[in-house]
Amino acid sequence: MTVTTERPAAARAAAPRPAPPARNDDVWSVVSTTSVMCCLVAGWMVAQMLYLGGLAQDRAQDALYADFRAELAAGTAPIGPVTEVGTPVATLSIPHIGVEQVVVEGTASGDLLTGPGHLRNTVLPGQRGTSAVFGRASTYGAPFARLGELEAGDQVNVVTAQGATRFEVIGVRRAGDPLPQPRPEDAARLVLVSGEAGGSRLPSLSPGEVVYVDAEADEAFDTPAGLPPVVPDPEQAMGTESGAVMPLLTLCLGLLLALTLGVIAARQRFGAALVWVVATPVVIAVAWLTTDVVMRLLPNLL
Amino acid sequence: MRRRARLLAAAAAALAVGLPALGASVEVAVAAPGDEPAYTETKHLSRTIMVQGQEIEIDSRDVTVTVDRTTELRGRERVDISWTGAHPTGGRSSSPFGEQGLLQEYPVVILQCRGLDDPSLPPAEQLSPETCWTSSRAQRTQVTDDTEAAWRHDKLATEEQRAQKYGLAPIPAECNDVANFSTHITPFRAADGTVYASCTSETMAPEAAVGAAFPPAEQAAFTDLEGNGHAKFEVRSDVENESLGCSEKVACSIVVIPIQGISCMDDDAACNRGGQYEPGASNYSNQGVDLTASPMLWWSPSNWNNRFSVPITFGLSPDACTVLDSRAPTGFYGSELMSQASLQWSPSFCLDKKRFKFQHNKMADAAGFALAENGGGAAAFVSGEHEVKGSDPMAYAPTAVTGFSIGYVIDKPGNAGEYTGLKLNARLLAKLMTQSYLGSELGRGHPGMESNPIGINLDPEFQKLNPGLDTITREAAATLLSLSESSDVIEALTSYIAQDAAAMAWVDGKPDPWGMKVNPSYKKIKLPTPEWPLLDDYVPVTNDECRQQNPTPYFTQLAAPVPSIRKIAEAILDAWPNVQTKCERSTVTDPWKIGRVDRQGVGSRFMLGVVSMGDAARLGLEQASLATRKGFVAPTAGGLVKALRLAEPSRSGEKPFTLDMAALVKADAYPGTMIVYTAARTANLPQEDADKVRQFIEVATTEGQKQGYGNGQLPPGYVPLTKTGVTAPLWKQAQAVAEAIGEQEGASTAGDESTDGDGDGSQTGTDGGDLGPASVSAVDGTDEVLAPVDGPGEEADADADGKGEDEGDKGDEADDAEQELVTMPPTTQVSSPVAARVLPTLVLVALISAIAANLVRLRHLRRRRS
Repeated sequence: MTVTTERPAAARAAAPRPAPPARNDDVWSVVSTTSVMCCLVAGWMVAQMLYLGGLAQDRAQDALYADFRAELAAGTAPIGPVTEVGTPVATLSIPHIGVEQVVVEGTASGDLLTGPGHLRNTVLPGQRGTSAVFGRASTYGAPFARLGELEAGDQVNVVTAQGATRFEVIGVRRAGDPLPQPRPEDAARLVLVSGEAGGSRLPSLSPGEVVYVDAEADEAFDTPAGLPPVVPDPEQAMGTESGAVMPLLTLCLGLLLALTLGVIAARQRFGAALVWVVATPVVIAVAWLTTDVVMRLLPNLL
Repeated sequence: MRRRARLLAAAAAALAVGLPALGASVEVAVAAPGDEPAYTETKHLSRTIMVQGQEIEIDSRDVTVTVDRTTELRGRERVDISWTGAHPTGGRSSSPFGEQGLLQEYPVVILQCRGLDDPSLPPAEQLSPETCWTSSRAQRTQVTDDTEAAWRHDKLATEEQRAQKYGLAPIPAECNDVANFSTHITPFRAADGTVYASCTSETMAPEAAVGAAFPPAEQAAFTDLEGNGHAKFEVRSDVENESLGCSEKVACSIVVIPIQGISCMDDDAACNRGGQYEPGASNYSNQGVDLTASPMLWWSPSNWNNRFSVPITFGLSPDACTVLDSRAPTGFYGSELMSQASLQWSPSFCLDKKRFKFQHNKMADAAGFALAENGGGAAAFVSGEHEVKGSDPMAYAPTAVTGFSIGYVIDKPGNAGEYTGLKLNARLLAKLMTQSYLGSELGRGHPGMESNPIGINLDPEFQKLNPGLDTITREAAATLLSLSESSDVIEALTSYIAQDAAAMAWVDGKPDPWGMKVNPSYKKIKLPTPEWPLLDDYVPVTNDECRQQNPTPYFTQLAAPVPSIRKIAEAILDAWPNVQTKCERSTVTDPWKIGRVDRQGVGSRFMLGVVSMGDAARLGLEQASLATRKGFVAPTAGGLVKALRLAEPSRSGEKPFTLDMAALVKADAYPGTMIVYTAARTANLPQEDADKVRQFIEVATTEGQKQGYGNGQLPPGYVPLTKTGVTAPLWKQAQAVAEAIGEQEGASTAGDESTDGDGDGSQTGTDGGDLGPASVSAVDGTDEVLAPVDGPGEEADADADGKGEDEGDKGDEADDAEQELVTMPPTTQVSSPVAARVLPTLVLVALISAIAANLVRLRHLRRRRS
């Protein structure tokens, strides 16, 4: 969390301050500048997680839907057991809570930015066996925000390369609840997984606990053999990516720093208005990119 | 004339060395009257030759053969055979076994034959050369020029045996017989009546095929200059050799034939020869020998009539209970240390209708314990305390005192026989276990240990303890064949290393006085550990095509641990290291494959492995002495008893005794001592099982502790538990625990719901999948396990058989409601404080800093205005 407080737009906050007249004022200007910077950084993060990320996710969903539609029509949509991470594998609709999403392969934090993700060591939804789909609860479109409102008997419709399956919800399950009864041999089971606030404070902002929705369909498609036995930690519930993201994050922060210095240098030669008109879109783009990278360091069901 | 001179000289020399040998043998017989050998017999043997129509006796001696054990033998067991007064061997070959032992003069041939040497028996039950097992054609069929056919001048042979062709009439076409040569065939008559012509390698019995599962056991052993000799002879039951077919029902014999040369009926040169080699000389280059004195003619009447036939009987085969008792077995799971004892105990249970059918299923101690705990098995064999995961109390009844040892086969240089009395210390074991020897030049590139010795025999520390061994580099000398599974044996072995300050300092990175360093992959490894990990992943860089095609970690190939202790014992018996570095391909165009190296040749064997004392005693393996405070202690009953004196009972009287490794070493007790317990629940075990376990403990600790080889007796390698003496506390605890298990009145710690649920969950999980609690718990270590999601799926799969079929037609709601529900474990909690707090914190920070910024701004403006 502390990583988030030392970033974007230091330039925007720092640059416009005029030279302070006195030493006492010096301290106050530092406090002021820091506050503005913190406000901007945190505010931007919140804004992107809750609203701007939703825009990005919507756009990604459109693109995925177009892709998947074409693949279904061409008969080239994946049926497992091993699919490239990030490709669309199914569409998911839950009428009761208004979910209409394309499911992608992979459940790492980065994969879930574009839509609900399919856990790679489970069968695809609709195939014989138990399948798991993870989705974000609060950020980036929050596709599974209302998962806890589902009730037994609700429908979950899934379309994959093998055909359409209608699941019936068995129930919502939280920590401590008993697991559902063993799956009948020929049935397909779907477990939807997302986050949920543990207590009642800020229910839509603190999805710290994992909530499961079990759904079952009586008839199932055949399952191809060769599922991977395990997935790495980042792809499990509340997993976070770490190692691989760091170089990317360093690059983004480096870009921001370069941008700041660039703006300061430009201010010496050109007028403020001109510099800001040119720099603002670039700053926003880099800040956006950086936040996307930071998201990957946060739990995947957030 | 010259030939005759040489012959007479040979005869004189033979007499000269033979006489003192006779004197010596008498002394030996007088000196050791205490241990009565199972078989001993003396025969007067002589050889005569014809010189110019005159019969001269050139060799006459009294040969005594002694065999230590002849009854209740098991497959692959080795018996000790020794003899005195035999003709000294010349032209010794490095390996006495099978075909490789043929090019010698005057050896002692030892064979295993079906049948007994008793003329009163029907012919089918008598032994003859045709029922004697050999593993190669050359031992059964001779085809030579008429002038060299010494057997055709055998004084004791019949007229037919002296004919040009003898053995099979007509000689089958597949023998490719040469018409104008002398041919003698000794066909092999198998137990099922099939006759194998045995004149080419294709016409041998199937067990004698090239690359057969077991190496040759028959041998042509050497006699020293005094006329004495001894050999360890491995017997084979019908499990190992079906064609030979020896079993508890089919009587067999060990036939010992001191080769003395053919007694000749005429002046034939080939027959009258006296041997080309001086007694005691070696024949490493496999030069030809005089046929008349060679073991190739063991079947010729002159030799065959000199035989000592030792009748042997076999114990019940390991599957006797399966065959003889149709009841369902009750499984006891766990420690392989018990295997030799349970082999002898199980018939005493299954053949007694008042007892139950006992079956010992060998597996990792922890896995066996888990089974006994959750109801998968009646009881477990373990040799240490294991953590109770469920709610039922477990009690431990001491059942056997045995241990692990370091088994080995090492040949002294210069064909001087096997090395005995190997000494090892904790640091040498640490060096072997941590894969710190290089194995070969391929390992030299491993970073951090460039200057380490190639193998343990080149390590100055080892040479100091065991002087006089060879310094040949071998990959097998770089490793200690060990277990791949989790085991209490590895726990004990590693705690022996852990208690030694010098060994641990070395493991932690301090070079030894000769500069050898620990393999960096194992540096500071935490000891003791029940499961030895394979941590080294160094792949050598080489131009070798095979290694380029198969890039595998080299040191892991050297170590190549195996899953069972018995396999290690057999690998040592066969001198066949499990080193997986042999490159081969069937044709030049095929890709290279990496496989197990070849068996080591007798004469330069060098191999070490972790074995159980029971297996080592059964197979006659040498066992190393381990260093203690004052000296080196061998795995003998004395060393074990010393250790038992230090065993402290637990406070509750139902838990394992404490054997502190440091105390054992301090008191010069054998550090490998281990007590094997029968562990079972004292609550909630079904009464039927409880009674069986109680019966087992009571029988095993009473009549099962009588030493011997018979059914229900305690084989060597174990120290008996007795009511009095040093093992009394163990015996008493066993009786008390047997009662507690029988009564099933232990206090179950059945507590809150969640514990129960957990127990159930792990039980179904364990039953469904492969047993490996150790690895499961390792995965459980991480927070984000997928158990809640994956759990239902997998358990459903496991239970689907029972459950899904019951369900029958689906869909009917009423049916579903009535149906019996399975208790399912609860969903595990997965939570992330980060996810819960990141957004509220960010909002808070944004708000506070916005307010702060505005306040500062306001103040600034106000000051400017003023």
